[in-house]
Amino acid sequence: MITFEGVSKYYDTTTALRNITLSVGRGETIFVTGPSGAGKSTLLKLIYAAEFPDTGRVTVDEWQSDRRNGSNIPSLRRNIGIVFQDFRLLGNRNVYDNVALALRVRKVPEREVKAHVLDALKMVNLRHKTDSFPPALSGGEQQRVVIARAVVGDPIIVLADEPTGNLDPDTAAGIMRIFKEINARGTTIVIATHNRELFRDTGKRVFRLDNAAVASEERG
Amino acid sequence: MPYPLKIALQSLWREKWINLLSMLTIAMGLLVISLVFSSLYNVGLFTRTLPEKFFIVAYLKDGLAENEIQKIVASIKASGPVEKVTYISKDEALRELKQSLKDAEYIVGGLDENPLNTLFPVSLKREAVGPEKVKELAGSLRKMNGIDDVQYGEKFLLSIDSVRTGMETIGLILMTVMISGVIFICYSTVKILFYRRKEEIETLKLLGATKTFIRTPFVIEGSVIGMAGGILSFAIALAFYFSVFSKLSATVPLMKTVVFPFDMFLLLPAVGLFLGVTGSLIALGRIRFE
Repeated sequence: MITFEGVSKYYDTTTALRNITLSVGRGETIFVTGPSGAGKSTLLKLIYAAEFPDTGRVTVDEWQSDRRNGSNIPSLRRNIGIVFQDFRLLGNRNVYDNVALALRVRKVPEREVKAHVLDALKMVNLRHKTDSFPPALSGGEQQRVVIARAVVGDPIIVLADEPTGNLDPDTAAGIMRIFKEINARGTTIVIATHNRELFRDTGKRVFRLDNAAVASEERG
Repeated sequence: MPYPLKIALQSLWREKWINLLSMLTIAMGLLVISLVFSSLYNVGLFTRTLPEKFFIVAYLKDGLAENEIQKIVASIKASGPVEKVTYISKDEALRELKQSLKDAEYIVGGLDENPLNTLFPVSLKREAVGPEKVKELAGSLRKMNGIDDVQYGEKFLLSIDSVRTGMETIGLILMTVMISGVIFICYSTVKILFYRRKEEIETLKLLGATKTFIRTPFVIEGSVIGMAGGILSFAIALAFYFSVFSKLSATVPLMKTVVFPFDMFLLLPAVGLFLGVTGSLIALGRIRFE
């Protein structure tokens, strides 16, 4: 589903990722961990084509980073649900419209949008907040809206960048339960986190990045 | 309601002041364009009616026989873009002169013999009334046997032609400047709206939106602003027509010859729409995903 073949990424003189080779199978959940600045976010950005490798190749389903063009990047991203670290919610749209946006870019007919959005909000337990605007929500609620937006389009891959950062342990546990549910439907999940509690005893593969390279691969 | 239209309408309302200002400026720009166009239209109309009033006068030498005169008429008719040749005998010419002098007929009363020539006023085909062609035709008439002199309003023709050319040039420059101005206003409005929603656009791109999905609401906004400007300029023109122009036409004789090109003003909303779309598309430019 996702393959990194000898991928390196540089920002000016800084090396963000060095010679990364890994693969993630369909329906698998993996964790990417490591200290701040280790390259976790960059690795995710390479998957959703917000960054491109300087050397090597990233393959996501049928998309290949060395065969990218202006039209296949949007279609790649429509296959991926992203939980951004900084949420990227639109402050001037309510919760419903924020979640619906993921369906509208996929050209889902308006008559089907409502049912999908309400299902996704129900899953993250925010059905009662459809008319609220993001600035009026707590951090945990905003995080759950982002998750609802990431999964509403039924993507084949969900990427989550520090999905529980700054959340209390109970909320974090609730969010991880949601990811488990999504994974149970066959969705591939990649979670970047520095919180070891999230992958402890999960039995999932954990890639630890250090100094821009994969330092270890172990089971959580 | 389709989603892009909903977003466009929301943004039009949210940014109503900047949009209103742009719309007013576009309306004024379109009005200036219409004004220039109307002037050019009237100048064109005036110069188009000119050929009907214009003619070259060929004066014949004295003592020509009837068959020689007929030959000359035939040669004139064959010599290019001639519409009509009228024959005025020297007696007829004198009679007309006396008629035109009316009370002052005594001026010619004491003459022993008729000093006037037989003459042919030669009216030209519409397309031939231009300084170069008339000069050429007059030259060829002068060379004909039996023709004493040829006269036409050369200076008048030249000045009319230069006024028309001058006005057309200035008008075209003004119209180009104003059209560019209107496009620029649409361009800057959409650019401002685009920058204000830059973060939203970045999010849309990351969610997988296509270029068309991102562009459509902005193009709708540009079109609405442009078309609203066009409708407003049409309304102002209409108000001007009924409150000022029609009254002036009824009272000022000079204004009776001025035509208000109503059909052209009907096009203003469409012109506004076109310029709005053009400005928006230029403002949005290339949306890159890399």
